[in-house]
Amino acid sequence: MRGRWRVIEAVRKSDRFGFLFSLPYVIFFLAFVAYPLIFSFVLIFHRWNIVTPMEWIGLKNFERLFHDPLFGKAITNTLTFLLIHIPLQIIIALLLALLLNSKVKMRGLFRAIYFLPVVVSGVAVTILWQQLYSYDYGVLNALLKAIGLPSVPWLVDASWAMPSVAIMATWKNVGIYIVLFLVGLQNIPAELYEAASLDGASRFRQFRHITIPMLNPTVIVVVVLSTIGGFSLFIEPYVLTGGGPMQSTLSGMLYIYNQAFYFGHMGYAATLGFVFALIILAVVLIQRRVIETEPT
Amino acid sequence: MRLFVATCGIILFSISGCSQERPSIGQASDAVELTYWPAPNAQEVQLADSLVRVWNRLHPEVRVRMQPIPVSQSTEEVLLAAIAGNTTPDVCSNIWPGALHDYTRAGGLIPFDRLADFDSIITSRVPRDLLETFRSTDGHYYQLPWKTNPVMMFYNERLFREVGVATPPRTYSEYYEAGGKVTRDIDGDGRIDVWMGERDIRPIWWQRLFDFFPFYIAASGGKTLFKNGEPSFNDADAVDVLGFFRECYGRGLFPRTFFQGGDPFLLEKKATNFSGPWEVAHIQKFAPHIKYGIAPLPVPDGHTGQVYTSGDFKNISIFANTKHPREAWEFVKFLVTAQHDLLLMEICDQVPVRSDLLNNPLFADYFRRKPVMVKFAEQAVYSRAVDSAPDLKEIFDAIAQEYEMCAIYGRKSPEQAVRDATDRAQFIVEWNK
Repeated sequence: MRGRWRVIEAVRKSDRFGFLFSLPYVIFFLAFVAYPLIFSFVLIFHRWNIVTPMEWIGLKNFERLFHDPLFGKAITNTLTFLLIHIPLQIIIALLLALLLNSKVKMRGLFRAIYFLPVVVSGVAVTILWQQLYSYDYGVLNALLKAIGLPSVPWLVDASWAMPSVAIMATWKNVGIYIVLFLVGLQNIPAELYEAASLDGASRFRQFRHITIPMLNPTVIVVVVLSTIGGFSLFIEPYVLTGGGPMQSTLSGMLYIYNQAFYFGHMGYAATLGFVFALIILAVVLIQRRVIETEPT
Repeated sequence: MRLFVATCGIILFSISGCSQERPSIGQASDAVELTYWPAPNAQEVQLADSLVRVWNRLHPEVRVRMQPIPVSQSTEEVLLAAIAGNTTPDVCSNIWPGALHDYTRAGGLIPFDRLADFDSIITSRVPRDLLETFRSTDGHYYQLPWKTNPVMMFYNERLFREVGVATPPRTYSEYYEAGGKVTRDIDGDGRIDVWMGERDIRPIWWQRLFDFFPFYIAASGGKTLFKNGEPSFNDADAVDVLGFFRECYGRGLFPRTFFQGGDPFLLEKKATNFSGPWEVAHIQKFAPHIKYGIAPLPVPDGHTGQVYTSGDFKNISIFANTKHPREAWEFVKFLVTAQHDLLLMEICDQVPVRSDLLNNPLFADYFRRKPVMVKFAEQAVYSRAVDSAPDLKEIFDAIAQEYEMCAIYGRKSPEQAVRDATDRAQFIVEWNK
């Protein structure tokens, strides 16, 4: 009781306006972050379909998860997506950022154009790409055919579908990472390049020994954001392929969504989400360990 | 601190002020008010609007407020959310039998058989054997069969005639034979211009309600997926059906692609379409130039007897949340009178579930004006609903995965796919018990 009064006294003495101004965020945090997190954790041990009362089932959701072939498939698919998407994203974003950082004409216009897909609705973009990718009637295959190449089964072949989804996701999100790389590039002190030039370093050596190491913190941010974004892969397979062909684009998020909102297995979906969160944490920690180096 | 308290006070005062402005249901007036949710498509909203206007004119003491089911991915999601949130309507006329189990498990519906004159009303309308298929596992009727949309085969007469197919195919062999002629590259650009058929190739559970499921009912002479609460489709009929679709893809009669730019049947890019009577209005509206015919679904060679199909039934239920069950039941009876069933056909081109459809003089003029609907009325008697079983969507999802693997991509034999789908269905049933 005394402790509680002490806290109240501390609040009273401190800046009251500060507490007042932080109140909306605290309420938001409690309602939309803390409460759902705790509730999801409780759900892990229950069977619940929203409308009937929760039923305690102990660790049965985990038992199911470890015997569920689709869970393994969803993890593999998501990792496959990340393996294609992250390097592609970094390379394209960095190249475009380097171009936009140089003295090209209408730089502002190009920056806006590259950022445009980011602000367009994900569903609209996906429907557009569905038309581009159509095997018999798509624009891409028509172009391939025009130059004498065979049609590609973009979305209707299990080995092509996930790379196709990754290409589309990269196109959609690359604008954000261009901006991040641009900020990183503009923060590199010009003196470093001047000193290197005076020492006779070529443009490539400057890029290799100054730009890349100095961009390391940005690369970490890009990799971590792409990884988290990649694990959230949902709209693209949901609209483009429904998880097919043959579950080759069934992402973790899509599987969780199906379990929760198609089949009403809230407890199992929460368990999947919990395990996914652990996997994301592990992957991000490994990535940081591998990438994080001090610039020399 | 004083400022903090004052701010909280203002917020609380505002909230309480807002809540005081809301009308209280109990205090509003002595008149009973019912809420009715029809399906949100334009025709059914028009029908519901007409019916509710008439009802409100005739029954000023029981006012009905019509509100189309809020648009979402599916009606079932909306209704489950409404049950969870205690915001259900009194009456809904878009109840899919496959979701009924979820609603009843949540205690969301009123059993009709506890209402006084239900038996006389229902037996005068629905054949007894068909009615039995709507009885829930606890022995009660929570749904009043209202309308059915039998899935049949639409075929493009011109495309058939052009290649010398005189009659619509009745069996799988006839379908392959006709398909071999119809499917072709007309302009010689190396791309197929007309396909025999087409289905959405994504493994989406409800897509199987328009291929595997009705074809299984047809092949098996009226069986559905469950028997005594257990999955029972591990049989030769299911193997035949998957084998049929595998052949359609294998022979190149169906495309393994997404069609773009519109409905391929309306664009005359496919010669057959498995659909329900709503397709009639659709064709009339968007492609009235198409000459088409309607036939029962193809069945395995050597099949004898009547060809059954899936009815895609939509029924009426009263929600347990209603404060006025008696008035709600009176409104339901009003919805299903013969005159209003006629209105359902006139406005929506959908088939009411009634046994006197083809011999009641009230409907004769409608069928004379729309002879195409006679086919559906004849088929309606030989229609089956989805089982009122738990976890049906998940089981259809399992079937969709195996269908894709076997029929579309040919990676599994039909026997193996049916076995795997049944095993998966059994696992789902066990898990959810």
